[in-house]
Amino acid sequence: MDFTYSEQQAMLRDSVDRFLAQRYDLARRKALMDDAPAAEALWRDMAELGWIGAAFSEAEGGFASSAIDAFAVMEGFGQRLVALPYLTSVILCGGLLRHASGSADLISLMIDGRLHVALAACGETLLHSPQHGAVTATKAGSGYVLTGRLSVVLGADRAHKLLMAARTAGAEGERHGVTLFLVDTADVSRRNYRMIDGHGAAEVTVENLTVGADNMVGALDGAAPLIEAAIDRATVMACGEAVGAMGYLIPTTAAYIRNREQYGAPLAKFQVLQHRMADAFIASETARSMALVAAIGLDGVPDPAAVSSAKFQVGRSARQVAYQAVQLHGGMGVSEAMDISHHYIRLTMIDRLFGDQAFHLRRYADLTQLGVSA
Amino acid sequence: MDLSIGPEAERLRDEFRAFFDKHLPKDLAAKWRAGAPVSKAEHQDWQRTLNRRGWLGTSWKKEWGGTGWGPLERFIYDEESSAAWAPRLNVPSIDLLGPVLIEFGTEAQKRRYLPPILNSDDWWCQGFSEPQAGSDLAALQMRAVRDGDHYVVSGTKLWTSWAQYANRMFALVRTSADGPKQAGISFLLIDMDQPGVTVSPILTMGGLHAVNEVRVDDVRVPVDNLVGKEGDAWTISKFLLSHERLVGAWIGPSLALMGLLRERLRKPGFDGRPIGADPILRAKAAEVESDLITLRHTAYRVLADELSGREPGPIVSVLKVRGSEIQQVLTDLLVQTGGAQAMVHPQTLTSAPGIAPAEAHLAQQFLDRRKLTIYGGSAEIQRNIIARQIVGV
Repeated sequence: MDFTYSEQQAMLRDSVDRFLAQRYDLARRKALMDDAPAAEALWRDMAELGWIGAAFSEAEGGFASSAIDAFAVMEGFGQRLVALPYLTSVILCGGLLRHASGSADLISLMIDGRLHVALAACGETLLHSPQHGAVTATKAGSGYVLTGRLSVVLGADRAHKLLMAARTAGAEGERHGVTLFLVDTADVSRRNYRMIDGHGAAEVTVENLTVGADNMVGALDGAAPLIEAAIDRATVMACGEAVGAMGYLIPTTAAYIRNREQYGAPLAKFQVLQHRMADAFIASETARSMALVAAIGLDGVPDPAAVSSAKFQVGRSARQVAYQAVQLHGGMGVSEAMDISHHYIRLTMIDRLFGDQAFHLRRYADLTQLGVSA
Repeated sequence: MDLSIGPEAERLRDEFRAFFDKHLPKDLAAKWRAGAPVSKAEHQDWQRTLNRRGWLGTSWKKEWGGTGWGPLERFIYDEESSAAWAPRLNVPSIDLLGPVLIEFGTEAQKRRYLPPILNSDDWWCQGFSEPQAGSDLAALQMRAVRDGDHYVVSGTKLWTSWAQYANRMFALVRTSADGPKQAGISFLLIDMDQPGVTVSPILTMGGLHAVNEVRVDDVRVPVDNLVGKEGDAWTISKFLLSHERLVGAWIGPSLALMGLLRERLRKPGFDGRPIGADPILRAKAAEVESDLITLRHTAYRVLADELSGREPGPIVSVLKVRGSEIQQVLTDLLVQTGGAQAMVHPQTLTSAPGIAPAEAHLAQQFLDRRKLTIYGGSAEIQRNIIARQIVGV
C-alpha cells in the first residue's frame, strides 16, 4: 500500500511547479488567450520538458510508467490554473488516437507539441454520453458524408484536427452505431469563443464532408465504448486538476485570513471561520483519497464505478472548497484581478465537465446495482 | 502508488473470514446485526472463543498473550470482525487498558491485571468524563488524596460506557491542583466491587442503557494501583487514544451497515416496488456509499503512513469526523427503509410477536449513533484540531 508519488513522479510534479512559477501567472494566462503564437511557443516548451510524453506509454513513444505521471502534471496545472488544452487534447484525444490509422505519427506529433485535437462528440452534454449528439453520416460508396453541428466543442478553437462522432447506424441515443472520424479542422467551419473559465472552444459545423475508411478511428459503429473509456481517463485527470486547485486554495485562504484584520483581530481568530477551513480541508483530503484510488485504477482493470465515485467526491468537494475560498476572501474573492475567482470558475467547470455530481451518482448506483431487486 | 495490501495480509483476511464463519454463533451475530442488546455472558463467551484462537488481544504484545499484530493486521481484523457482525463492547479492557498496562504498567500490575482480561474474568470501564469535564477533559475534579499506602478517592464519573458490566475502572483522577491542569492528573486502577462505588444507569434517548454515572465516595485505592507516576495520565491518555485512531473511523461497522442497507433497498416497499427504486433514497444511499469508500481509502492512506514509519498526525481527526457522520447517515437511511415497523420501541415489544426483529431496533440504533459526534472529542473539537494543527489558522 502506497499513496505517494514515486521519486520520478515527484520530480515531474516539481518541474511543472518550478516552470509554471517562472513562466505562467494570471496576467500571462489572460494574454495567451488572445495570442495563439505565444501560447503555441509555451506549449512546445512544455512538450520539450516531457509533460505531453508523460501521458503516453513508452510503446506509444511517450515516457509514462503509470497513469499517475499525467495525474501529477494535472495536479500541477490545477494548482497554477493553466488554461491550455492538456486535458481535452492530450488526455482525452491522445488516448483515442491510438485507434487511428497512422497513429504512431499522430501521437509523435502530439508529444512534440505540434498537434492539437478536439473531441466533437456527446452533443450538448459537456462530454459525458457519446450515444447522444453524433453528426449524421450518409453512406456514399465506400465512405460516408457527414453533416451536422455541435455548439460546444472544447479545445476546437486551436485544434488542427477533430475526432468527430457520427451516427453510422441505429438511432440517436443508441450506443451501437456511433463511429469516430478524424477530420481536419480546415474541412469544417468553426466559430471560436471561450468558455466561462477561459478555456478555448468552438461551435463546429460540418456540411457534406466526405470521409473514408482512412479517417475512421476504431471500429465501425463501435466508438461509444472507446469514447467512454477515454472520458473516464480524462475524468480522473480532471479530478487531479481539481485536487491541485484545492491544494492551492486552502493554504492561500488560510494565509489570507491570518493576515486580514477586521474588528481589531485577524479573521483566523474567529472560530466559525476556523471550522469552515477545517471542513474545506476534510473535503479536500477525502476527495484526494478517492481521486488517487481512481488514478491508480487506470493502470489496472477499468473500474468505472470508482471513477464515478471519484468524480462525485471531487466535484462536491471542489465546489465547497472554492465557495469558502471566495467567501473568506470577501470582496477580493469575487474580483477578476485575483486568481481565487478564476479557480472558482474553473472548479465549477470541472464539476460540470464529463458529467456532473447528479450524473455520476446515478452512474455509480447503476454500475453497482444499488437498489435493484435481485 | 499501489493499492494492494500484500499476499500475507490477504491470506490473513481469508483466515479471519473462515474463523468467523465457523465459530461466531449465528444467533449472536444476528442479534448484533439487528442492533438488539447483547448480554455480558454472551459477550464473555465470544471473548473466550476468540482468546482460545489467540485473537482477543489484537493490540497486545505476544509476550502478554496478544497477537503482536501491527496496524494493518488490526485494521483488516476490524473490517472482517465487523463484516461478520461480531459484537465488540469490551473495548476499554481489551483495546485501551491492555496496551496501556503493557506500555506503562509495572511488572506486578501486568501480572495481576492482564491475564484476567484475556480470561474474561475482569471487565473494565473507562472513567474519564465528569459532570464538569466533557470536551474539556483536563477540568476533571475526581480527587485522589494520598494517605500512607493508599489514595482516598472521591468524585463522580459520567457517561461511563458499560459500567454496569464492569468490575473494575481505570480512571483519571486529580492528585494535584497546582500547575497546569493536565499536570495534576493521574491514572488510577479502581476495584468497583467495594463499598463507596455506586453505578447508576443513564438512559439515553430511545431507552438505551449503555452509559452510567459512577460515584466514588472515600474509596481507598492502594498506591500500587497508580499507572506511571503521579501526573503522567495526560501522556498515557494520548497513547491510549492513539490506539483508537483508526477504529474511530468506523470503517468496518459502516461497511457492514452499508451491506445491510443495500440488502434492504432490494426488498419490496409499501408499493411493492423495491425500496431502492425511490430515486431520492437511492441517491442518498449512493452518496453515503461513495463517502464511505472514500473514507476507507483515506484510512488506508493513514495506515500506509503508519506502516512506512511516518507519523500520520492530526489527519486522524478527519477520520473521526467523517466516520461518525457516516454512521449517523447510514442508520438514518436504514430507518427510512423500515417503514412503520422501524419506528416501534423494541423494549415494549414482548406482547407483539408479529413485528420482525430486523426492523424493530432500527430507530434505536439511529438514536444511539447520535452520540458519536459528541463523545471522544466532539465534532467541534476535532474541527478545532484540524484548523489549528493542520490548516494553521
